[in-house]
Amino acid sequence: MNRHSNPELGFCEYACGAGVIACVLTFVSLSFALPQAADDAQKIVDEAQTLATTKSERYAGVLQSFNADRKTSEKRWIFERIGSHGQSKSIIRFTEPPEVLDVALLIVNHPERASDQWMWTPALQRDRRIALQDRSTRFFGTDFTFEDLEEREAGQYEHTLLDEENIDGANAWKIQAIAKGARSSQYSKQILWIRKDNYVTVRIDSYVKDEVVRRLQSSRILSVEGVWTAHEMVMSDLPRGSRTRLLLEKIQYNLPLRDSDFTVQALRR
Amino acid sequence: MRLLRLLSWPYARRHLLRTALTTAGIVLGIGVFVGMYTANKSVLLGFSETIDRIAGKAELQVTAGEAGFGEDILEKVQSASIVRVAVPVIEAVVSSKLQGEGDLLVLAIDMTGDRSLRDYDFDNGDEDIIDDPLVFLAQPDSLIVSKDLADRNGLSLGSRLPLQTADGEKSFTVRGIMKPSGLATAFGGNLAVMDVYAAQQMFGRGRTFDRIDLALTPGTAPADAQAELTALLGPGFDVQPPAGRGRQAQAMVAGYTMMVNISSVFALFIGMFIIYNSFATAVTERRAEIGVLRALGATRAQVRTLFLTESLVLGLLGSLLGLGVGSLIARGVASAIGALMGELYGVARQAAEIATDPLVLSIAVAMGIVTSVVAAAIPARNAARVDPVDALRKGAYQALSAGESRLRVITAVVLGVLSIGCLIGSQSRLLFYVGYAFTIAVALLLGPMLTVRLAVALRPLLTWLRPVEGALAADSVIQAPKRISGSVAALMLSLALIVAFAGMARGAYGSVLQWLETTLNPDLFVMPSQRLDLRTMRFPATMAPQIATVPGVERVQMFRSNRITFRGKPAMVAAVEMNSVRETARNEPVAGDADDMYRRAAAGEGVIVADNFAQLHGLGLGDEVDIPAPYGMVRLPIVGIIVDFFDQQGTVYMDRTVFLQYWRDDTVSDFRVFVAPGSAIDDVRQRVINLYAGQRHVFVLTNDEGREYILRIAGQWFGLMNVQIAIAVLVAILGIVNTLTVSITDRRRELGVLKAVGALRGQVRVAIWLEAASVAAIGLILGSVLGAVNLYYLLEIVQRDALGWRLNYQYPVTTLLMLVPIMLAAAFVAALWPSEAAVRRSLVEALAYE
Repeated sequence: MNRHSNPELGFCEYACGAGVIACVLTFVSLSFALPQAADDAQKIVDEAQTLATTKSERYAGVLQSFNADRKTSEKRWIFERIGSHGQSKSIIRFTEPPEVLDVALLIVNHPERASDQWMWTPALQRDRRIALQDRSTRFFGTDFTFEDLEEREAGQYEHTLLDEENIDGANAWKIQAIAKGARSSQYSKQILWIRKDNYVTVRIDSYVKDEVVRRLQSSRILSVEGVWTAHEMVMSDLPRGSRTRLLLEKIQYNLPLRDSDFTVQALRR
Repeated sequence: MRLLRLLSWPYARRHLLRTALTTAGIVLGIGVFVGMYTANKSVLLGFSETIDRIAGKAELQVTAGEAGFGEDILEKVQSASIVRVAVPVIEAVVSSKLQGEGDLLVLAIDMTGDRSLRDYDFDNGDEDIIDDPLVFLAQPDSLIVSKDLADRNGLSLGSRLPLQTADGEKSFTVRGIMKPSGLATAFGGNLAVMDVYAAQQMFGRGRTFDRIDLALTPGTAPADAQAELTALLGPGFDVQPPAGRGRQAQAMVAGYTMMVNISSVFALFIGMFIIYNSFATAVTERRAEIGVLRALGATRAQVRTLFLTESLVLGLLGSLLGLGVGSLIARGVASAIGALMGELYGVARQAAEIATDPLVLSIAVAMGIVTSVVAAAIPARNAARVDPVDALRKGAYQALSAGESRLRVITAVVLGVLSIGCLIGSQSRLLFYVGYAFTIAVALLLGPMLTVRLAVALRPLLTWLRPVEGALAADSVIQAPKRISGSVAALMLSLALIVAFAGMARGAYGSVLQWLETTLNPDLFVMPSQRLDLRTMRFPATMAPQIATVPGVERVQMFRSNRITFRGKPAMVAAVEMNSVRETARNEPVAGDADDMYRRAAAGEGVIVADNFAQLHGLGLGDEVDIPAPYGMVRLPIVGIIVDFFDQQGTVYMDRTVFLQYWRDDTVSDFRVFVAPGSAIDDVRQRVINLYAGQRHVFVLTNDEGREYILRIAGQWFGLMNVQIAIAVLVAILGIVNTLTVSITDRRRELGVLKAVGALRGQVRVAIWLEAASVAAIGLILGSVLGAVNLYYLLEIVQRDALGWRLNYQYPVTTLLMLVPIMLAAAFVAALWPSEAAVRRSLVEALAYE
């Protein structure tokens, strides 16, 4: 696969926790003002994405990993984003544990190509560029792969409405997504469940051949400043028996953030 | 077959000791051959395995010599469409500071992408910590170690591990333990993994990487990718499969390998003489038996076949035992060779296991059999020619006939003339080596005659020492030169080998000393490590002006060394400040004008090369060299050739500005400080140390210490030679013990006769001792002469085919003098048991012998 021939791989690729949050939010955040949803898979997904758009964002995140032996690790950070939909810039600054305190990640997304990413390690007092690499690699020991963190542009997938199902007490569309043409994926297909009442994607099953290898489940969906936002997401690596829980706290949208704070120079500050 | 069972087997059983000693000849030859080859191969294999295990799934590796390259190159490689994943790597061999552990190979990688290439098979520890690259990246003291290393040193997750860094000793935290498989077994398990960016800082690498390991997008042929990446990066980069680095290591140690091969061939040759000696003795001893056989109708062919079959069986037996002995030798010397190779060539050197190559073992067995059969061919022919009537006569057959002597002399003269002719036309490599072989043949042909002459010359001395026993000993040698010719030849060859190796070591030592005195003349060396040979750590260039401000410092020169690949072979590039060196160097160039070459080199108009570099690559003054660099091809003429021993593969000296332009790396290997007249060197040294106290670990050596260090490093190279010398001495001792024991044992009857005519036991004993001493003395004399010639050839080989160094011819008189008591003692030991057996044996039994 020539990843550089895939300009649609824009958003949070691989080396950043910020990406996790931003991407997942793209899926699970929707405006209060729901339009009349058409029973057409493509339109449903397009609509879900459109409604997630905000100018900027800030929240405090908690990432908890549970391995098969139930051992856990936890990281906390502050996330800030400016812009949206493939043209955003994000910074994540880790606050806990002490080993990663002040480690910062900058992601500059481009609509036409892969994002640029830099990491600042205070102990070394230097930044490093992180290149887009193998998208099936696990993201910093979590159960997300780098591909899971990419921004999903609705137009880059072939969507098929499979069914309607009740999931966690809510009606949802069950939609199959297969990457189109040049866009390669480690997954042979993905099945999305999008709630009919708020257009939030509440579950994604990712397949390799005919086996589900990863499952993302969203819960605690609350409205934040008019945007339906999942406050908890769990990604499970089914073959491995491990899972990663993402908790979003103190979410704020459309803040007056400065573009100059989303640069490598600012990262060093 | 029946003859073998009826005649040979009973004979072998009756003469068990002799059979064992004859077999020992083959065992020795094959043992040394297999042992040295296997040890060498094991070390190289260990290196290759380390490369393979470290390479993981990497299909190609991008390198640009030892200096590495800037981080921008990584982005360039990653941008190539054929590259699926490309990760930067720094490799460093560092002192672990763990008691008994020695060096550790630190593999520094970028964990974010590296797990696509390498399998970090973690132990059952805390995977949440181990498997968390973020913590690993955030903490520059993070280290993952192999389970072997952890177990040996009681390390667990969170343990602290001290390592030598550019800033001195630092404590690292174990954040992962790899299971003892795959990657973790590289470098004999002495492996640690750390973050590549932390390694840049820890080892003073600036913003460079040593290497990029990459995997290709599915469906891309490695050869196509190699071509595409080479075109993308330019000629300064090597793009090759991981195995290519193994080949480079082989090229680096090619000179040493050649020496090993020479000593192996000599060992086998010596083994041949041991066998020849044993069979010649057996034929003479069994003349009566052969006579009876012939009288009963056995044909000459049958007799010849009988002896050749015996030799074949013994050859096979000896070869098989030799394989076992070789394995033991390999085990014994592999670690020593490995350690020396590591010190000298900087290659990873853990020979995890002995690499037995079935092909080599088969060749060794075949060589053993062939050698045995060839060595037995002349005695077998002689046996076949035995006249039944003459068979009962004893004694005369040990003498050289006039016809035989004449033939030997004529052949020797012809070969001697031919060898001189070959020497004259020795520009041809083939003629040179043919001439070498002829010279050895001349020595062997003339050996028996020279032995008689020398014995005659020694007779007065022996008779002066002990009138009766001395005369008996001398006459025994004079009358039976054939019997002792095997002993003399074996000893002569061993000594020739010892003299050559020792002379070469001595010549190299003298030449290095001379080079140090004329070229390496700074007062102080400021280094990032105590070890000059470790180029793992470097200094920032900003230190130069800081050191220059130290009171008493007159001049600071930045020196940067960097291994590169030139025309497919490893070489060294040294970046120096030519204008400054011009004012301090006192060496006269081999070619070029001293002043002009420094001036032109300083202006970036040319490079100065070491003599051995020019020799190895067939270059001369004015020739243009194309030196591949990360940022272009350095294409400059040679403006001077100097005697230089900085690197065994040859060094190209260029001005620092040229290096900075083409390598974009301003780090410094060491600073060379000249102290102002009137200032005390020790005071200045202390001030430099104080300047960086608490900030940076610097090691400041005085010129004497630096010189001593370099000589010690040189001494380690000589250590390789010493291994060879030790083997040669061992071969010589075993050779003389073997052949003399056989020879004396075969004289039972003669000694019995002596006792029968009234000789006292003490007289017989002393006569045997003196004869053994005479053989040793003759071997020493002939060996020392042949050694002188051998040394010449070996120095030529070193210059032509091994290292390119023009070493001074220095005959190793001291070594030879040391060998005199060793060889005489060996001869005495060899004679001890047979002489005791001879004097204690009953007269009747002795006279009934044969």
